[in-house]
Amino acid sequence: MSESYIIEMRNITKRFPGIVANSDVTIRIKKGEIFAILGENGAGKSTLMSMLFGMIEPDSGEIFVRGNKVAITSPNEAVKLDIGMVHQHFKLIENYTVTENIILGIEPIKRLLGVFPVVDTKTTSKKILELSKKYGLEVDPSSKIENLKVYARQRVEILKMLYREAEILIFDEPTAVLTPQEIEYLLDIIRKLQEGGKTIILITHKLEEIKKVADRCAILNRGKLISVLDVASTSTNQMANLMVGRELSLEINKPEAHFGKTVLEVNNLTIRNSERFKVVNDVSFKVREGEIFAIAGVSGNGQVEVADAIAGLSEHVKGEIKFLGENISGIKVRKRNEKGISYIPEDRQQVGLILDFSLAENLVLKKYFKQPFCNGALIDRREFSSYAKRLIEEYDIRVAGGENALTRSMSGGNQQKAIIAREIDIDGSLMIFVQPTRGLDVGAIMSIREKIIEERNKGKAILLISLELDEVLSCADTIGVMYNGEMQKIAPAHEMTEGEVGEYMMGVKKNEKK
Amino acid sequence: MKKSKNPLIRILGNKKWQFITIPVFAFLCSIIAITLIILLIGKNPGVAFHSLLQGSGILPKPKYAAHKGIITDFLEMLDMLTPMIFAALAVAVAFRAGLFNIGVSGQMLAAGFLTTITIGYSSLNAGLAKPLCLIMGAAVGALAGCLIGFLKYKFNINEVVSSIMLNYIFQYIISYFINTRYVDPVSRQSRDVSATARLTLQNVSAGDYKMKLPICIIIAVFAAVFVWFFFKKTRQGYEFHAVGRNVTASKYAGIKVGKTIVLAMTFSGALAGLSGVTYYMGYFSSIQPNTLASTGFDSIAVSLLGNSHPIGILASSFLITVLSKGSTYMSSTAGVRYEVASLIIGMILLFSACGAYIRNTVDRYTKEKGAENGNNNN
Amino acid sequence: METIIIDGLSFALPIMIIAVGGIYSERSGITNLALEGLLGFGAFSGGLFVALMSGYFAPASPTLIWLSFLIAMIGGAIYSMLHALLCIKFQANQVISGVVINILSVAITGFLTSQINTSVFGKPSDKFVLSVFQRITIPGLSKIPVIGAVFKDFYPFEVLIIVLIIICWYILYCTPFGMHLRACGDNPQAVDTAGINVNKVRFIAVLFSGALSGIGGMCFAYSISTNFSPAVYMGAGYLAISALIFGNWKIMPTFLACLIFGFARSGAYQVVKYMKLSSSFSDLAMTIPYILTLLLLVFFSKNNRAPRALGEIYDKGKR
Repeated sequence: MSESYIIEMRNITKRFPGIVANSDVTIRIKKGEIFAILGENGAGKSTLMSMLFGMIEPDSGEIFVRGNKVAITSPNEAVKLDIGMVHQHFKLIENYTVTENIILGIEPIKRLLGVFPVVDTKTTSKKILELSKKYGLEVDPSSKIENLKVYARQRVEILKMLYREAEILIFDEPTAVLTPQEIEYLLDIIRKLQEGGKTIILITHKLEEIKKVADRCAILNRGKLISVLDVASTSTNQMANLMVGRELSLEINKPEAHFGKTVLEVNNLTIRNSERFKVVNDVSFKVREGEIFAIAGVSGNGQVEVADAIAGLSEHVKGEIKFLGENISGIKVRKRNEKGISYIPEDRQQVGLILDFSLAENLVLKKYFKQPFCNGALIDRREFSSYAKRLIEEYDIRVAGGENALTRSMSGGNQQKAIIAREIDIDGSLMIFVQPTRGLDVGAIMSIREKIIEERNKGKAILLISLELDEVLSCADTIGVMYNGEMQKIAPAHEMTEGEVGEYMMGVKKNEKK
Repeated sequence: MKKSKNPLIRILGNKKWQFITIPVFAFLCSIIAITLIILLIGKNPGVAFHSLLQGSGILPKPKYAAHKGIITDFLEMLDMLTPMIFAALAVAVAFRAGLFNIGVSGQMLAAGFLTTITIGYSSLNAGLAKPLCLIMGAAVGALAGCLIGFLKYKFNINEVVSSIMLNYIFQYIISYFINTRYVDPVSRQSRDVSATARLTLQNVSAGDYKMKLPICIIIAVFAAVFVWFFFKKTRQGYEFHAVGRNVTASKYAGIKVGKTIVLAMTFSGALAGLSGVTYYMGYFSSIQPNTLASTGFDSIAVSLLGNSHPIGILASSFLITVLSKGSTYMSSTAGVRYEVASLIIGMILLFSACGAYIRNTVDRYTKEKGAENGNNNN
Repeated sequence: METIIIDGLSFALPIMIIAVGGIYSERSGITNLALEGLLGFGAFSGGLFVALMSGYFAPASPTLIWLSFLIAMIGGAIYSMLHALLCIKFQANQVISGVVINILSVAITGFLTSQINTSVFGKPSDKFVLSVFQRITIPGLSKIPVIGAVFKDFYPFEVLIIVLIIICWYILYCTPFGMHLRACGDNPQAVDTAGINVNKVRFIAVLFSGALSGIGGMCFAYSISTNFSPAVYMGAGYLAISALIFGNWKIMPTFLACLIFGFARSGAYQVVKYMKLSSSFSDLAMTIPYILTLLLLVFFSKNNRAPRALGEIYDKGKR
């Protein structure tokens, strides 16, 4: 019986302190199929696959590969069993070249003067080129990772597996960072890989992708296996309901927009990075009261730099940034905060919060110097606490230990809630959100999107920067698309289709300027 | 979370008291290690530890010279303790803002030297000279610290490198001036500062005793309390902490990171300066050319041992000073080499450095217990 | 001029070999402030070896001298395991660990030197006397104007150091191990998923730093005072740290930094001598290399970037 399955994971259970990540999960995967694992964030998909790849070990349960019981104690073991994995957060050495990254750990050696071993990158580069041609994974073997776009980095990860001659390929949320067109291309690659005889495991929470490529699909919910389905004979609605475990409405209630006066006006904004390289080139746009202006674009096309520049965090900024009619280009971060610019940054752990601070200390991060928190040179920690208690209550921030808990100990969703609470409570006229829902579960995503729309209904101007196209489409009143540091297109949301936005994101379609 | 059966784990696992139980545990481990070493060289550890405490005025010696007593020993220990507290506080203040002030000894030297030649050799009366010494010392130290902070802020020069360079520069320049202008031909050190400027009162008679009175110890304790207050209750203290923990987030919150760095180094330097004047014009009265005070380097360890917490620093400075002060007496009475004292200090530091590991291990142990119990209940 | 080159090299090269050790450790992601302690312990081991063995060898026997280098290297490596253990296994703060290692090193070597001198050799002393390491000159090459000084009156250990630097450069940049090492300092998670044991690589890197520092320490023991005493802790380890930060954690620029420093130092000495100034001026002259370093840093520090994962404790469980 077992022989017909290339992989069997039987009765797998894994606990982390406080949660059961996988509880008695059994899945069987056939050779040569595309097997999808579907579930919300936190459902235990990545944990399950991390065990198959040897990053962590199960507390109980057995794993069989090609019918043989195996103990996969390290990624090394997994590779020996021809298992490869593309992680959600790429595991690449930024200052190494593509080739060096691919051969890391299994470096081919040539002998210098017949004696000294030297890592041989030349011949491998050739082999890598061949592989990339075969599967359509074009990438220059000699370029450094830090200069590559996200999709190219992903290709490097795939090549890494292929170079190791992996037969079983695990993809962890591979499409989360890609444009629609790039997603299509990736799905093509995945099909090609299947034709090449590989077995593919696809972790995702996106139903359309499963529908497009997968043969079968396992659905996880809160660590438990709900069902294994044949994809062809199941509707997406059925899958969605199983995944969430309840009837889910993905529609957001969004009343009609009423635009007021212009709050933010950006004219001919050009930004250079620390190497003096132009990352934003001559960008202009406007955001009005009661408007959600969403900037769509693939990661690394200058959107985040625009947000940073408006918040006052960038150097080397040229052009004009007008806030409520006043040019604020020259003024400091704190002044901008005080004038009423809120900013929810992309990286909530490194930028938005000080993880070693208590929740209360973080909640006053932009107010600690003002009355009543501060009198002259002294701060009043009791005021910190009572203010924090209020926000915890109002914004439903869930944290064991209350306002004195270390922020590091909080879950990602609650960390984000804390930032949003702090920023909304500034009560200014402009809010900048960058990737506000990244990595959160469906419940948290919906509640954050609702919050954004609520603020817009109150008449605030919202600048939303997101890599998730569905977020842009479901929230935006106006969409701007950025590619290569330039604003490709600005149009009312209802005038643009998903496909069009995608084409602008890829730089395929280019608008005549303004 | 159910209580573990092992009493050690239970005590160490108590989160609320870990900040004190874990250092104490580390201290006990090092005492055990040292006991073994002393046994190994064939001496009696009990006698060694006892004489160590006698030497530093904690326990009474069997006999004393004329005008001496346990109180004079204790005051001498406090005399040595004073610069150590200031120096360790200097390290802690910089550390709070994420900076590593390895240049405390250089700042001490600069402050000690400039104060010596201006106020130490002046004929000002005591009431004026002593406060001026403290002010001058703090100011010179602050300037030196400020320079390091400025180099980091303006030119991105790692503070460790610039501190080390400045240590040497101060050392050599001051040595030059001492040798050419201020040298005492007999001692080959700088000339003694005047008694009016000396920060430790000499030969104070009380009853039968003649003792040294390190009046600045009061200021040192006060400084520790002030630093604690500063960390906890002031706006600037909050900003130091923010910058020390996360520079990016601090920038995002609108904190002027550059200014904070310069301020932190200035504050740290001022404390180092106070340490310098209490060292060179209190504990000693002259400066040996071409030498940096080891206090400056030891203070890094003392500060770390006190977990960079001002009150912890009071405790750890006390501990370390008692050990080093008592070492001479120990070597003469117990026949254990005085170097053993520094070995004890090294061991204590070694075990304290493992504090995080001990905490993690204990936590893991209690958590596993907790998880098992939790699941049994399900 | 000749003396500047000769003295400059004999000071710069030992610093350089210590700095290379530091580069190994830091490029693998382990902050190493412990170099000072490592070099001291290495020199102590070598010195102890000479003191114990000198009876079996002829006075100033080259074999004994070279063996003492070997022992210093081993001693430094063994002692550095403490730093590796603290940083890797015990997850101590790496800065703290470095400081502790330094303090402990001074304490242990001071204690043991006196203790062993008293109980083994029966004479109380805080030093181990070494034999004089003869300088050598290569006849032909040393006649070349200016450059010739490089081949004149040099300590044989300088050759050893140059060879070691080349080997270290080769290992770090050309071999698989070097590739793994540098990768550990950039993204240890990636290294781990590539099936390489991050902690093992880092452990070995720290051992390298210990071994190389041990050699550097031994050089100073021979060149400065021909004995091992606590005087060997004169800050060379901290200078090496400055040099490697100055050199942006790369071997060649660090080498340059060491040379500049060494030549500035010997140059300043010569100026004092040449101008027949009183000896107290040599104190002033000694500040020149440090001031020069600071000034150079003002111009060259702007783009310095430490290895990305430097000082990070690598915890496999962390995702």
